[in-house]
Amino acid sequence: MNQWLDDRLHISRLNDKFLRKAFPVHHSFFLGEITLFSLIVLIITGILLALAYEPSNSLVVNSFDPGTATKPNLVPAAYHSALKINAMPFGDMLRRLHHWMANIMVAAAVIHMMRIYFTGAFKKPREINWWIGMLLMIFAALTAVTGYILPYDNYAYNTVKVVYAITASIPWVGDWVAQAAFAGKFPGDGIIPRIYGYHIMLLPGILLALTGAHMLIMIKQKHTQPQYAKRLAYKKIVGVPLITQQTPIMLILALMFTGLVMLFAAFVPVHPVEFFGPPSTTPINNIKPDWYLLWVFGALAIIPSFEFHLFGGLIGAEFVGALVLPGIVMGVMFAVPMFDRTDENQYYAENPTNHPVRLAAGVAFMAMMIVLSVAGYKPELISAGLLTTANANTILWILTFIVPAVSYFAVIGIVRGIRALREADERDALAHAHADD
Amino acid sequence: MTRYKKQDPEITRRKFINVAMGTTAAVGTVSLVSALGTANPIFRLTPDKAPPVKGDVLVHASESKEGQPIKVSDLSDQLVRAWPMGKDKDGNNVIRKGDPNNILALYRFPKGQLVEPTKLDATVDGEIVAYSDICTHAGCSVSDSDQGDGMKCPCHSGQYDPKRGCKVTGGPPPRPLAQLPIKLEGEQLVVADFFATMPYPFLSETEWEKFKKEVEEQLA
Ligand code: FES
Repeated sequence: MNQWLDDRLHISRLNDKFLRKAFPVHHSFFLGEITLFSLIVLIITGILLALAYEPSNSLVVNSFDPGTATKPNLVPAAYHSALKINAMPFGDMLRRLHHWMANIMVAAAVIHMMRIYFTGAFKKPREINWWIGMLLMIFAALTAVTGYILPYDNYAYNTVKVVYAITASIPWVGDWVAQAAFAGKFPGDGIIPRIYGYHIMLLPGILLALTGAHMLIMIKQKHTQPQYAKRLAYKKIVGVPLITQQTPIMLILALMFTGLVMLFAAFVPVHPVEFFGPPSTTPINNIKPDWYLLWVFGALAIIPSFEFHLFGGLIGAEFVGALVLPGIVMGVMFAVPMFDRTDENQYYAENPTNHPVRLAAGVAFMAMMIVLSVAGYKPELISAGLLTTANANTILWILTFIVPAVSYFAVIGIVRGIRALREADERDALAHAHADD
Repeated sequence: MTRYKKQDPEITRRKFINVAMGTTAAVGTVSLVSALGTANPIFRLTPDKAPPVKGDVLVHASESKEGQPIKVSDLSDQLVRAWPMGKDKDGNNVIRKGDPNNILALYRFPKGQLVEPTKLDATVDGEIVAYSDICTHAGCSVSDSDQGDGMKCPCHSGQYDPKRGCKVTGGPPPRPLAQLPIKLEGEQLVVADFFATMPYPFLSETEWEKFKKEVEEQLA
């Protein structure tokens, strides 16, 4: 049979080109793989969920609590189907699995990106893949947000309301864009079918296409090589081939990882739709977005209110906080490969401590994100008495700039220290080496 | 890459292909953009989506009492949420909750506590006041603050003072909540006029004026 297949598919050629691709041996190289596995599990669980989900916000009688004949208890069909999914055997767990996987995918992607950044793996010739990676992050976040809305409970309803308002805050065209994106004035009759289309067709399609491109380019360009490869065989590719060594490693990793998340899903509850209830006008106290969007939320919470008109368009705090500021942050991240001026191809992962400025800038950036995320907890900080309504904004703004600055210089200092120690060590070793002779 | 370039006085094959591809891409993009137009459905103003208009009765919005007219005795310095209830073409009652932005916040304060910039002639005896309950920032529904100092929006901690015309006392909201003129007719609280200022989600007074006209024409 092998011969038969080979005659038709030329597997031996595929084998030489792809299946023997060498994978570097270092645990930090698994992060991208974990992201990929999460995506696969997300697609599988997503398909299963889609089979039982009803994408409609028309009102139906809640079969779990029908009310009376004169006053039936009407809930949106989407919400009702979420309740039904929860009532299925393992249904709740399936929802949680999907949820946790999404969170972990973003987390793994973020750490993967950190690895790329700190080891200089974004440098020539891999700039394109850095940009594709950025797009993947952005679309992953959009997919997650649209997924949040689908159960259409009160939480989702409030979320989509804010998302709608943010879209509508774009000057000049906002109203039109928001209505086109969310099927009419909020909450249009077609809002859930529309978002369902985004979440299960459009966005996953984009994600898969980008992932494919990301991996093809990676195979073509080869991984950066870990440092030990330099010592082992300079300018040669060192690693284990996809078939047969890397595949079992990948499989074990994928299964262990999925198993772990399953345990999570079995025991850690998440987004209880029953608790939030169907959409209503009663607000939810201290509603928060997912952790990876908390920084945008924090920025919105501490931005002072302002409004001005420019050429007939309205520019407000919301637009600046929720679109301009994240736009700038994303822009800076997109530009990362452009800050590198070397013209040579990068073969080896760099030791972060050899590039103190890059390291410190990265740490400062993350510190800023963390401070902004903490700012998202402003109401809680005020309730806890740590800050007052009067000083919260000022203090949080000062922290937004002070903490990154401090961490920047701290990192530079620490790196200097490490280098001094390392040099002293080397001198020592040298001296002893001579003494041994 | 070809090493030898053929010199051709006429249009080269490559050039032709490039132009053809460019044209196709341009035409394709334009047609896609025109298809996007279908993404935005037409908005029809139905009675349940109309804003509070003159003569509407204010009814409870809380689930247990939904639809019951609000009585003066139901009100206090704690927020009570209300819907405007009007009539449709056949004279049946319709609660105008088709547009969630119609949700209202009602308060009753002891005499003398409501002060400017609240429009006092739009309140009942300077005691009962009605506002839009939709945050002017991003449209969340606003609640009483757990700190006991006015109202707080749960979304980005915008704060309002309901005794002073719901002006913004903290957070990102750009404008005060819109006040709704009300009066007492018998036992019932009744809407006396449109919102005095533009409510969420309007961004300019001209837009709001235009919408008011539209509503008047449609409901006349
Ligand atoms: S929606 Fe009220 S503060 Fe943002």
